[in-house]
Amino acid sequence: MRNIIDLKGSILSLTVLSLLSDQIEDTKQAIARKIDQAPDFFIGVPVVLDPQVPLMDPTFLALLVEYLRQRKMIPIGIRTEDDVMIEQAEYAGLAIFPLEKVKKHPKKAVEPKTEMAQPGLKTALLVKSSVRSGQQVVAKDRDVIIMGSINPGAEVVADGHVHVFGKVMGKVFAGASGETTAKIFAKQLAPELLCIAGLYQLSEDIDPAYQTGFVEVSLQDNKLVFNTGLLG
Amino acid sequence: MSRVIVVTSGKGGVGKTTTSASISAGLALKGFKVAVIDFDVGLRNLDLIMGCERRVVYDFVNVVQGEASLNQALIRDKRIKNLYILAASQTRDKDALTLEGVGKVIDDLKTDGFDFIICDSPAGIEKGAQLALYFADEAIVVTNPEVSSVRDSDRILGILQAKSKRAESGDEGIVEHLVLTRYNPKRVETGEMLSVEDVVDLLNIPLLGVIPESEQVLNASNSGEPVILDSESDAAQAYIDVVDRFLGEEKAHRFLTAEKKGLFKKLFGK
Ligand SMILES: Nc1ncnc2c1ncn2[C@@H]1O[C@H](COP(=O)(O)OP(=O)(O)OP(=O)(O)O)[C@@H](O)[C@H]1O
Ligand SMILES: [Mg+2]
Repeated sequence: MRNIIDLKGSILSLTVLSLLSDQIEDTKQAIARKIDQAPDFFIGVPVVLDPQVPLMDPTFLALLVEYLRQRKMIPIGIRTEDDVMIEQAEYAGLAIFPLEKVKKHPKKAVEPKTEMAQPGLKTALLVKSSVRSGQQVVAKDRDVIIMGSINPGAEVVADGHVHVFGKVMGKVFAGASGETTAKIFAKQLAPELLCIAGLYQLSEDIDPAYQTGFVEVSLQDNKLVFNTGLLG
Repeated sequence: MSRVIVVTSGKGGVGKTTTSASISAGLALKGFKVAVIDFDVGLRNLDLIMGCERRVVYDFVNVVQGEASLNQALIRDKRIKNLYILAASQTRDKDALTLEGVGKVIDDLKTDGFDFIICDSPAGIEKGAQLALYFADEAIVVTNPEVSSVRDSDRILGILQAKSKRAESGDEGIVEHLVLTRYNPKRVETGEMLSVEDVVDLLNIPLLGVIPESEQVLNASNSGEPVILDSESDAAQAYIDVVDRFLGEEKAHRFLTAEKKGLFKKLFGK
């Protein structure tokens, strides 16, 4: 039986954090003030950074990312086309979102069987072990294959599909740069968070029926769809 | 060939020092030459558990800083031949240890023919813990059967894979072992604690042994004796098994169930 689950978010519910200052301390303080107003609201919220000023300080992004994590937010990407910032962002493990407007309502996946269009061959990033708490794996412009599990507190981000031979207990972001045909495959699912192209779902919103066997998660009509019938 | 072993956990107070003391004593009892180093600068503890706190003249920091020779600082255990302790300083702060300094001490211990160099790590995942694990060939990850301890152990395993000398040089990774301590089968059965299966399932590293929760541990440390020497106690038995398995022997795991079996039950209970 296939169920379809209601989603809480859309691509727009990726919180966008506009950065209007290039001073890290000021920025941190401003964030702290915001959080103090609604502490629970920000826990586990995926955040895309949107710098409105050039960030000249080469440690700015790294410090900001660390701070956001400390405050339990999940910085996943940055909107920029600036080469220096892109380099910083890659170093800080952030996905790059192009500046043009991200599609608000992704079209219904019309070609479910086709591969994602890729400029040139880039094989999947292969991780031979489990991803452990505190670790983050980022597969830029490609798929990632995790041969172990994604443990609680670990994070896997890919612009393409995410394949997990073990159990997903941490956070997974597929299609992190907005690729709506990206999928997540897992032998077992008990995640903290799943996200495809910005649409995310927390574990408490995932039907336990999907948490036992092999499952495919895809994005259809702005919803995460769970398919457990793939292997018959 | 010397083997450098770090005893580490992430979370504090789970039994690293207890485990370091017992494993060191157990290996020395088997005839190996063993040095056990307390990396917990500022909070020395190992010397108390080993019962040599009154004989500390020079400590690990003194050696690292070149203020004393290794021979001056190594404290010879009174009970067990071939067992030496390098105590932590109580007065210095954590920054007194440097990577080069620690590396030199470990190299010197290797040159001196120590078979095992056991590094008792401080809690946490920061500098002190990273220093203790940096030179390790093997790691004994000490975990309690509770979610926060397991999560921290998972973190430290990630750090072992990323920030050790072996990881940096691209050699074979650190060999990982799991010791699950303070295991209370009754509380596992009632669901208050994680089971050994749950823990092994998540951490996914080989299980060296399960040490039961035991009053004898406290008694032993109060009397300055590694609990493994109190050979009647469950905890000692469990540590003896751990040492045997560490040396390659195959032994079935014990102390996993709450049942107190009498001899009759043992013989006919199955
Ligand atoms: N198997 C056990 N049964 C009962 N108590 C235990 C057991 N193992 C350790 N303890 C107790 O737990 C406490 C902490 O042990 P220990 O000092 O070995 O931990 P640690 O991990 O070295 O701590 P720290 O992180 O502070 O260095 C001590 O009081 C010790 O007696
Ligand atoms: Mg200790």
